[in-house]
Order: sequence, then C-alpha cells, then structure tokens
Amino acid sequence: MIRYLLTRIATMIPTLLAISVLIFIIIQLPPGDYLETYIAELESQGESIDPQKIAALRADYGLDKPLAVQYWHWISNFVQGDYGYSFEYERPVAEIMGDRLWLTIILSFFTILFTWLIAFPIGIYSATHKYSWGDYGLTFVGFLGLAIPNFLFALIMLYVANRYFGTSIGGMMDPEYLDQPWSWGKLKSVLEHMWIPMLVIGTSGTAAMIRRLRANLLDELHKPYVLTARAKGMSEVKNLTKYPLRMALNFFIADIGSLLPSVVSGAEIVAVVLSLPTTGPLLLAALQAQDMYLAGSFLMFLALLTVIGMLVSDVLLFLVDPRIRFQKASK
Amino acid sequence: MILKSLIHSIFAIALLSSAVAQASEPPYLQAQIDSGELPTLYERLPDIPAFGGTEHLSVGQYGGTLRLLMAKSKDIRMMTVYGYSRLMALDKNLQLQPDILLRLENEDNRVFTLHLRKGHRWSDGELFTAEDFRFFWDDVANFEPLSPYGPPQAMKVDGQLPEFSVIDDYTVRFSWKDPNPNFLPEIAGPSPLYLYRPAHYLKAYHPRYVSEEQIEQQVEDTNSKNWRKLFHNKARQYKFTNPDLPTLQPWYNTTAIPAERFVFKRNPYFHRVDREGQQLPYIDEVTIQLASSSLIPAKAGSGESDLQARNISMDDYTFLKSAEQESKKIKVLLWDTALGSQIAIYPNLNASDPQWRETLRDVRFRRALSLAINRHELNQVIYFGLARESANTVLPHCPLFDTSLKDAWAGFDIEQANALLDDMGLERGSDGIRRFADGRKLDIIIQTAGEKNEETDMLELIKDTWRQVGIRLYTKALQREVLRNRVFSGQAVMSVWMGLPNGIPTAEMSPASLAPTRQDQLQWPAWGRYAETGEGSPPDIPEVQRLAELNDAWTMSSNSAQRLAIWDEMLKIHAEQVYSIGLINGTLQPVVINPRLQNVPEKAVYNWDPGAFFGIHRFDTFWLKPEGAS
Repeated sequence: MIRYLLTRIATMIPTLLAISVLIFIIIQLPPGDYLETYIAELESQGESIDPQKIAALRADYGLDKPLAVQYWHWISNFVQGDYGYSFEYERPVAEIMGDRLWLTIILSFFTILFTWLIAFPIGIYSATHKYSWGDYGLTFVGFLGLAIPNFLFALIMLYVANRYFGTSIGGMMDPEYLDQPWSWGKLKSVLEHMWIPMLVIGTSGTAAMIRRLRANLLDELHKPYVLTARAKGMSEVKNLTKYPLRMALNFFIADIGSLLPSVVSGAEIVAVVLSLPTTGPLLLAALQAQDMYLAGSFLMFLALLTVIGMLVSDVLLFLVDPRIRFQKASK
Repeated sequence: MILKSLIHSIFAIALLSSAVAQASEPPYLQAQIDSGELPTLYERLPDIPAFGGTEHLSVGQYGGTLRLLMAKSKDIRMMTVYGYSRLMALDKNLQLQPDILLRLENEDNRVFTLHLRKGHRWSDGELFTAEDFRFFWDDVANFEPLSPYGPPQAMKVDGQLPEFSVIDDYTVRFSWKDPNPNFLPEIAGPSPLYLYRPAHYLKAYHPRYVSEEQIEQQVEDTNSKNWRKLFHNKARQYKFTNPDLPTLQPWYNTTAIPAERFVFKRNPYFHRVDREGQQLPYIDEVTIQLASSSLIPAKAGSGESDLQARNISMDDYTFLKSAEQESKKIKVLLWDTALGSQIAIYPNLNASDPQWRETLRDVRFRRALSLAINRHELNQVIYFGLARESANTVLPHCPLFDTSLKDAWAGFDIEQANALLDDMGLERGSDGIRRFADGRKLDIIIQTAGEKNEETDMLELIKDTWRQVGIRLYTKALQREVLRNRVFSGQAVMSVWMGLPNGIPTAEMSPASLAPTRQDQLQWPAWGRYAETGEGSPPDIPEVQRLAELNDAWTMSSNSAQRLAIWDEMLKIHAEQVYSIGLINGTLQPVVINPRLQNVPEKAVYNWDPGAFFGIHRFDTFWLKPEGAS
C-alpha cells in the first residue's frame, strides 16, 4: 500500500509539470500581453496613458523578458508558495483568491448537498421502479435541468427573483451587507440570494447523477445475491440499502476526484451571469486580461486539486471496496 | 481694471467668509466635532475656500448615500475623475479656473507660479503646502530608484525639464526655457499630471527619511516585493487603492481592495464651498458596488444605482426607458458624446503596396469614397436618427466649429463620386468594378478590431453604396493588436477606428491629434512614428507637412489669436483632404439617475477629456432630495 502511494505521488510530479507548461503556453498564446489589454481597456472608455509609463510597467512586471524566463520565474516561485503577483489587482495572488475562496466553498457545499438530496432518492426510486410512470416522470424532470442552458436559466431566475421577490440583481447578498460583519440579517440576505445559483447549478448536475445511480443500481439488483437475500425473507428496504446500494456507490467515491476542484472553482459561467463574488469570474477576467500569474496560479491550483482528488478517490476505493483490495493482493 | 477686479474679489471673499462663519456644519460630522475629534468648519476650510462655478446650481441639503455601480475594483479610480479636484480645473464652459490653487501666474506658457490656499488641508487634517510639491519633485520624480525614467513626459519640452523652485510655504514655480502649452491642460486633465504628493504621509516609506531597517520591516509586514513597490502602492493618488493615503478629492476611500463594495466618505477638509458658504460636497457617502458589466444595465434599470453612465450604452436605452416609466425609480437622461466621429474609416497613406499607396494619396479618391456613403441611412438604421451625419471633425457646440467642416465631402453624391473616380482614370470592367492600370480590381479590405457591432453593421451598409461607384468592400475582423501591427507595417490598406478623440477642443488644447505625431494614427502610422522616434521617413505630402509645421507652431506660440488661427487652418486641411472618412457623430449616452438627485444637468456632454465624465458638471454639488419631499 505504501509503495503504491509513493509511486502514485511520484508520477504526479511530471504530470503537474506538464500541466504547468501547457497552462503557461495557452495563456500566452493570444497576441499581446496584459499591458496591451490594459491599454485597450482604458482606450475603450476614452482614457489614455503615457507610453513611458507603459514601458516602465512592462520592465517592472518582467513582461519584456523571454517566455522561458517568465515561466521559470513563475514556476520556481510557485513551488516555494509564492503564487505571483496579479497585475490587475496589484496584489499578491494569494491575497486575492483567499477572500473569494470561502464564499465559493460555501456555495459549492450547498450546491452539492442540494444535488445529492434530490438525485439520491430519485435515482433509487427510478431503479427500483424501472419503466414506471414515476421513473419516466422524474427522469424527465432531471433531463430538463440538464438540458436548459445554465446561463439562460440563471437569467430567468434573476428576473423572477427581482420582479416577484424584490431581490437585488446578482451577487451573494444585498449590497448594504457587503462590508458588514455577519448577522442574522446578513445570513438571511445570503440565503435569499443563494437559492438561485444553488438551484441553477444543482439542477444541471442532478440528471447525470440520477442516471448513473440508476444504472449502477440496476446492474446490482438482478444479481443472484439479491435474489438469495430476498428468498431468505430479508425486508426489501434492508435488502436494498445493505447490499446493492453499497455496491452501486463506487462511482460516487470515484467522483470525489473531480468534485474537489469543482468545489473551489464554482460554476464559472453561472457565477459570471449572476455576478457572484466567487472564484469563477475572477479566473475568467484574469484569462481575458492576460493577467497571467493570477490565471496561471489559479489553474495550477485546480490541477493540483484534481490530481490529489484522483489519488484520494483511488485510495478510498481501495479501502472501501474489498474487490479492488483483494484483486490487488492476489496479483 | 486690475484694481477693480481686486476690490471685487476682496469684497466677494469678505462676503464669503462671513457666510462661512454662519454656515452650518454637515450633520454627518457633527458628532466628531462635538467630541473634539474634528475642528470646526472655519478651521477646516482654507483661509480662502474655492467658491466659483456654483452660481447656476441650486443650494443643496447635506446627507445621503449615493450608490454607483462599477465593473472592476480598479474602476474606483473614477472617483478621482468624477471628483475632479485639480490644481486648475475646467469649468463647464471649458475655461481653466484655479481650483486647488488660489491663483496661477502664467508668463507666456514658460513660467508658471502656483499659489496655494493658505490653510488648505489634506483629508487627514495635515496642511497642504509647498513641501508636498518639493517632495514630489526632489524625492519622487527626480529620485532615480523611484522614477527610472525621470519626471512625467508632459513635463518635458524637447527633452528639457523645468526649473523648480519653492518661493515660500505656499508658492512654487516651474519655469521652462521654451513654452509648454500642454502643462495647464495636463494638470486639469481627468487623469491629471500630479505635481504633489502627501509628503507627511509618504516620508515614512521613503529611504531618504527613514532608516533601511524600518523600510525592510515594512516591506516584510506588508508582504511587498521591495520598497519601491511598497512606495508606489502607498502613493497612488489617482487610483484610490490605498485607503490611508490622504487626498484632496471631495470623498476619500475607506475600503481596501480586493472588495465587492467600496465606501467613500466625505472629506471634512474639502476646499470648495457653495455660494452660501456651505462646505461641499453635499452627499455624505458614495458607495461603489461591483457587478459584472453585463448586469449593470439591468441593475441600473431596477434602481440600484443613483448615477450611472459607465457600462451603459445606447443599446440599453429602450429597456431603461421602459423601466423608467414602469417603476418611476429612475430617470433616464440622454447626454451627448464628444468623439469627432463615432466610427471613422482611415485610408493608410503609408500602405506598402505602391499602387494602393499612390491611389490613397490621391485626394480625389478619398473624397469619392466619402461622397459614396449615405450617412443619413446609417443614422436612421443604426441610431434611430438620433445622431448627426458629419465628417470627422469638431462638434457644433465647440467654439472652433464651422458648418463647412461638418459638411465637407460628407453629402451623399454618387454622381460626383463616379466623376472623380473616372477622372482618376480608374476604368470599370465588364462587371462594373473599377480596375487599376495593371488590371487589378479595386477590392478594398477594411480591417476592423471587430469589437463593436455597430462597426460591422455600418460597413455592411457602406458596402452597397461603394458598389455603386465600382468599388468592392470587404471587411476583415482582427484582434486589435494584430490590426494595429498590420496598419503600422502598411499591410492594411484601410481600417476603421473611432474618430477624433476630442470633438470639443478649444484653441488652448493641443492639436497634436490632427498632425502626424503618433504611430497609432491609422492614416499615417509611418509618419507618426517618425515624429515620435525620428526613425523612418518624414511626411512627403505638402499638406501633411503643413500640419506638422502648424502643430509645432502651436507649441511655440505665445498668444491665443495665433493658436486659434492654427486650429482653424488644421481643421480646414483635414476637411478638404479627408484624411479620415467620418460617418456619424453626436451619438448619445444614456445617464440613469435617481429622480431625487439634484443639480445633474438635463443635457450635457459625457466625455473623458475634456470633461472628466461628471467632473466638470460638478459632481460635488449633486445632492439627494430627502425622500417624500416634493
């Protein structure tokens, strides 16, 4: 086991290095650099800037150096825990991300909880009542959630919330609470705003989960051991939860790998539409502005979480599922 | 005469100081005054406060919070723009008036003597004196580690820096050998040339005033890269990013970035008063909430902003207007914009293809292209007929305007256009398309940055009418940087971009944008580059040479009449030579306001420079009528 872990961790390093090179190249691919975008943005509002100042900034940010040097500068500092400096905010990257990370995690947590709460019962019901009206009906609802584009759904919900409930448009809370300490009023305001992203992001994920749970469970339900248990007079509920459901949960554990990065990144597009103070819009803006250290470090962070998440999934599966464990041992 | 005006102003000041003595304190500050935290109004104001420019405005009531929406945290710099507190500031008639300065003596644009207001204080209560100017000049602008390139470009005349001297605590002087007519417009600009820094605050971060260990410590504490970065981060006056930095603007920032909402509070030491001696601003707090730019029109429409023009465009007008009627929570005004042309077509006189270069340099060709555009149709189709059909020139309310400038070669006349092209010997082929002598067809590829829909829409309409004169138009959307580089290298024959950036200049403003001065002038990038760097070849067309000469003459001129004559001649050359083909100007900018907000002009110009957006319309005098009041 320990040997296995060590080799897994060892292979992570070249993977991450390759990812870092890719990230850096892709961010640098569009013509121009951050300062060009900056000048363009100023000009589009009618402002202008001293060319000399731009030259000084370029030297200051090291944008006049060759790409390889810039890359080395970034990655060597990244390893040491210095994630670089955001041109856009003129602050260290860590400082900017830290703030938004918490709200993102809270939102993602509730969204995932919401998805599970909806998808689990429906998935189980659909599998046990295969091809019934209930199965079709609920699956249909799930597919609706999957099929409606998130951004469109988000816009409609914004309109409805503003029109009928008087909620201020976008954001995670009413503006007057933004710089206030936590209070009941603030919590209420957050809840008032949070249900929209929760619903929008949540519904898009339920269908996939329902279908996977249903398929996995159906595979198990027809296995002989289920029949045996039933023949021995075990109650249906216990029979279901004790054996086939447990077996069907493997996919769920395997999902943790992809869950980890998504908890941190939030749903980017929905967050942009809803103007949420999460990390998604930050990443998008950084990419658009070619704010390369902010974008690069954030993407690198996500890559790191994905790789770690995969490792955690594998280890968990190893621990939880004896089939995998024994397969390994017998080799 | 001088004596009379002196007596006049002394009288006005006497009246004013008695008014100030009686004026009430802003209730917002009362608690702090009672507790002794803040001195009284009389002690907070300079000996002679600034009181001009409010005659046409109503006297407001104190109080309230004004909400603004911005797309990015960097946009909080707009508070410096809107606040528009400058050494010298433009009034609403675009005349320069002393603002932070008590007065300024100008000797032939060479020697400028700046007189400060005695007793003027920074927002933290420290005195604003000549030391702040000296600190900037000696310890920042001319201190190599902080400013490797020396003082700002605008302070150099032919590479020469001015001589700076401190006359006394409240008087400083900048003197150049040659005239520097850009100096005053620069210090009055929306993103102004700063000549001062709050010395008392910034000395704590400057190696000439504190020991190395202390600075090292601060660098470590603030997690900064090095002391230079730290100093610059602390010293950004324009950007408002450091809440601790004292300011001279009407409101000071209290929120550090990153944040989602910024709160600006009234500067208790602000130097302006209204005509009754009440200290400005009227509004206590300004809050800026961040929202994604695509949501801002929707939020403004639902009344979540009290004053919004940024991130709103004519596209949103119909939605905003219906929201206005439905909810009564907002009022929508339409202000003018000041571009010489919303979009202009630039023939590249430095095109690398010799055939094209020769053709584009022929004035008949440029005139024909301009005549073959139906501007009326563009206006009706794209701007609901609300814009103005015009060549790329100054706007009607500009003092330099003349109808002949607007109409020069800007009518729709296919016949005349055809005649001009026939005259050039560009024969039509059997398909009706004209050909060069060597048989190549006249297919013009116009390169666009593809950032605005209206650009492509307009070109689509122009395509039809150019076809009637035997010219085919193709458009090619490029990434903006690529576009520029293609124009610079001469590969792009023609491009589109916005017209004259300032359509409401006065003769006192630099005419540089009319002469070859910068590489990014899309009609003559090579000549612009020559002017900037001395590389490449100088202009070889007499009219363009004349423009360059006139621009130099303007810089050296020492009287207004001469400057006016120069502007007139330059504008005329542009009108006659059609160096850029203007389409439409005078498009409108919707401004959404809270119906309770007072002193906002119904009709005004929304422009960056001159204008500072709301700046010259005196943002500090806007006030909110209490709810329920009629």
